[in-house]
Amino acid sequence: MNKLKLNYTSLSFLPILVCIPLGYQLINNIHFGGFKLFQEFLISAFNPKIDNEIIITVIKRLNETILIGFFSWLVSIIFGAIFGIFSSNIFYKIFNIPNFFYHIIRFFLTIIRSIHEVVWGIILIQIYGINFSIGIIAICIPYIAVNSKVFAEQLETIDYKSFESINQINAPKFSSLLTLLWNPIINTFKNFGLYRLECSIRSTVILGLFGIGGIGTSIFLSFQTLNFRELWTYLWSLAILIILSGLIFKRTKFRTTNKVQSIFFIAIIFITILFSFSYFLYFIFNNNFENFNSVSSLFKSSSYLGLFYFLKLILETIILSLISTGIAISLPPLIIGIFNNNTSKISIKIIAFLLRLIPTPVILLTLLTFNNPSLSLAALTLGLHNAGITSKLLFTNLDSQDRRNYIAMKSLGISKKTSWLLGLFSQQAKSYLSYCAYRSDIIIRETAIVGVIGSVGLGWQLQESLSSFAWQEVTIVLIAYSSIAIVGELINGKIKNSLT
Amino acid sequence: MNNTVLELENISYKYKNDLILNKINLKINSGEKIALLGKSGSGKTTLISVLNGTIKPTQGEVKLFNESFEELDRKQKSKITTIWQDLRLIEDLSAEQNVNCGLLAENNFYFAFKNLLNISSFKKAHKYMKLCRLHNSIYDKKIRKLSGGQKQRVAIARSLIQESNILLADEPFNNLDPKLITTIKNLLLENVDKNNTKKSPKTVLVALHRLDLLNDFDKIIGIRDGKIFFNIKRNNLKKIHLEKIY
Repeated sequence: MNKLKLNYTSLSFLPILVCIPLGYQLINNIHFGGFKLFQEFLISAFNPKIDNEIIITVIKRLNETILIGFFSWLVSIIFGAIFGIFSSNIFYKIFNIPNFFYHIIRFFLTIIRSIHEVVWGIILIQIYGINFSIGIIAICIPYIAVNSKVFAEQLETIDYKSFESINQINAPKFSSLLTLLWNPIINTFKNFGLYRLECSIRSTVILGLFGIGGIGTSIFLSFQTLNFRELWTYLWSLAILIILSGLIFKRTKFRTTNKVQSIFFIAIIFITILFSFSYFLYFIFNNNFENFNSVSSLFKSSSYLGLFYFLKLILETIILSLISTGIAISLPPLIIGIFNNNTSKISIKIIAFLLRLIPTPVILLTLLTFNNPSLSLAALTLGLHNAGITSKLLFTNLDSQDRRNYIAMKSLGISKKTSWLLGLFSQQAKSYLSYCAYRSDIIIRETAIVGVIGSVGLGWQLQESLSSFAWQEVTIVLIAYSSIAIVGELINGKIKNSLT
Repeated sequence: MNNTVLELENISYKYKNDLILNKINLKINSGEKIALLGKSGSGKTTLISVLNGTIKPTQGEVKLFNESFEELDRKQKSKITTIWQDLRLIEDLSAEQNVNCGLLAENNFYFAFKNLLNISSFKKAHKYMKLCRLHNSIYDKKIRKLSGGQKQRVAIARSLIQESNILLADEPFNNLDPKLITTIKNLLLENVDKNNTKKSPKTVLVALHRLDLLNDFDKIIGIRDGKIFFNIKRNNLKKIHLEKIY
C-alpha cells in the first residue's frame, strides 16, 4: 500500500481538514432568519448609495482614516527600524555589547506585539476616553514591535563576513553601523513599507468600529442600522483608498543615490521622531485619567474568573487560531488550483481583495445573518479574512514564477490542474508555508477582534472585563493572551526556521 | 635596531576539536615581501585572520609594532589591511562605495553618510580603482552585478586605498587573467618599494598557490597542518621544501 508522503505541497493542503468539524458545526447552526438581509447585503455591493451628503461624509471620514493610518504607519515604520536595529544581533556585535540586552529588548517587543491593536485601543479608550490620537497610539504600540521584528529579521541576514571586513578596517563604530545597515533598512522599507501601510489603514478601520473615528466608525454605524447601500459606499471608497495608496507607493522611487530625495527623507525621519517624542510627552502630561482612577485599582478590583472557565477560554482561543490558520493556509491553493483558468483567476482575485478589505467584525456580523454565533463561525471569519491575505501573496509569487515547468508538463498531456500543482505550486509551497507560519502569529492576535464580536474566547472576556472596569481580570486575560501569542510565535519561529 | 612590525608568539588556534594553528612563532619585519605557501586547509587563512586580529588565538600573543594587539586602539589597528580570499564586499553597495569603505577608519561619521548617499566626488577612490584597472562604467554598479575578476579588483582597491603599513592578502590573484595578475602583483608589491623612503615601510604577506609568482617575493613561508615548516629567503627555496608542504 502506498503511504501518504508529507512534503511541502501536501502540507499546504492538509490543514483544509479543519473544515470537517467546522462544517459540521456550521450546518447545525444554520438559520434562515437573516437570509434576506444577507441577500440585501450582497445586492447593495453593486448599488452603493451615492449622493452629495454621503460623498461629504466619505471625504471627511477618509480624511480621518488617512490621517490616523498614515501617521501611525510613518511613526511605526521609523521607530520599528530603530528598534529593529536594537533587536538585531549585528548591533551588539559592532558595539561589543553583551547579548543579555538583546534578549531583554526582544522579549519586551514580543510581549508588546502579542497584544492586538484593538486590545490596546480598547484599553486606552478606557483610560483616556475616546480621542482621535488614541487611534494613532493604539496602532503604533504593537506596530512598532511588529515592524522591529521585520527589520531585525532582515538585518540578521547581513553576511557576517561583511561585518568582519568592516570591523577589520577599524572604522568608527557608528560609521560601520551605518554602512552595514543602510541598504538592508532601505530595502526592507521598499519591500514591506506598502504592506505595512495597508495594514495600518486596515487597523484604522477596525479601530473605527470601536468608535475611534474614520471610515471604520461609519462602516459600523451603517451596518448597525442595516443601511447596506451606505455601507458599500464606505467599503468601495476604502478600496479606492487602498488601491490609490498602493499605486502612489509603487510610483515613488526610493533612490538612495538621489541627493535631494535622500535629504528630504532624512528630514522626514527626524521631524517624525521629534514630533513623536514631543507629542508623547504632551499626551502623558496633559491627559486626565478619566476612568482609570489609579494604578492601585488594578490590585483592589477582584477577579470572578473561575479557573475552569478561564482554561476553557484559553482553549477556545487556541482552537480558534488553529482552525483559522488551517483555512488561511489551505483554502487559497485549493481554490486557485481547482479553478485554474483566467476568468476564475480574476474572480478569485476580486473575492480575495474583498475579504481583505471588509473588516473581520463586519464579515462576522454578515455571516451571523444565517448562522448562530459559535467558535466555528468566528474561525471561519478569521480564516476567510486571512485567506484573502495569503492568496494575495500566493498570486504574486505564482505570477512572477518561471512557467516553463508548467508548460512542459502540459505539453506532455498532463492535466491542467496536475501541471499547476506540480509545475507551479510545488515550487512555491515552501516559501508559502513559511509566510503562513508568520501569518499564524497574526491570526493568534486577531482572535481578540472576532472574540469581542462573536462571544468566543479571551477576546470576549476581555471586552466584558473592560466594560466592568475589572482591571485584575483585564490583566489576567492580557497575560494569557500574551502567553498564547508568545508560545505561538516560538513554535512558528521553529517551523519557519525549518522551512528556510 | 628592531624593525619587527608583526609578531606571533607561540600561537595556537583551536576550532571545536580541531587544532588549526599549532604553536606558531613568526616575526615579520618592516618592508618584507612574504609569500605564504601551503595546500588548501593548511591554515593559511586562519593565520592571516590571527595576524589581522579578526580571530583571537586560543593561546599565545599577537604583537603589532611590539605592542600586544589587544591593547592597541582603533587607529593603530588600522595599520593592517587585508584582502580576503572570499573578498567580503558589501553586496548592496556599489563598487565605488565599497572602495570608499576603506577610508572609513580615517574619516568621521559624516563621510560614511556621504558615501552612502553618493553626495560627494571621491577622487581617491577613483584613483585606486583606475590603478586596479577598473573602468569608470562600473563605479556605480552594485557588487552583485560585477564579474568575479571585477569584484576581486574592487576588494584590492578597497585595501590599497587604506594606505596601511602592512598588507595581508589571501590569494588575491584568484579570478584574474594572466595580464591582470601581473598588473595587480606589481601594484601590491610596488607599494613596498615606493614607500621604502618612509619611516615605516609597507610590508606585504601574500598567501598563494601559484609558484610561478614567487620571484617577486623575498621571503617564503611554508605551512602545513597548522605548523610552519619553513621560513626562508626565496633564494634558498628548494624542491624539497615544497615537497614538505604539498
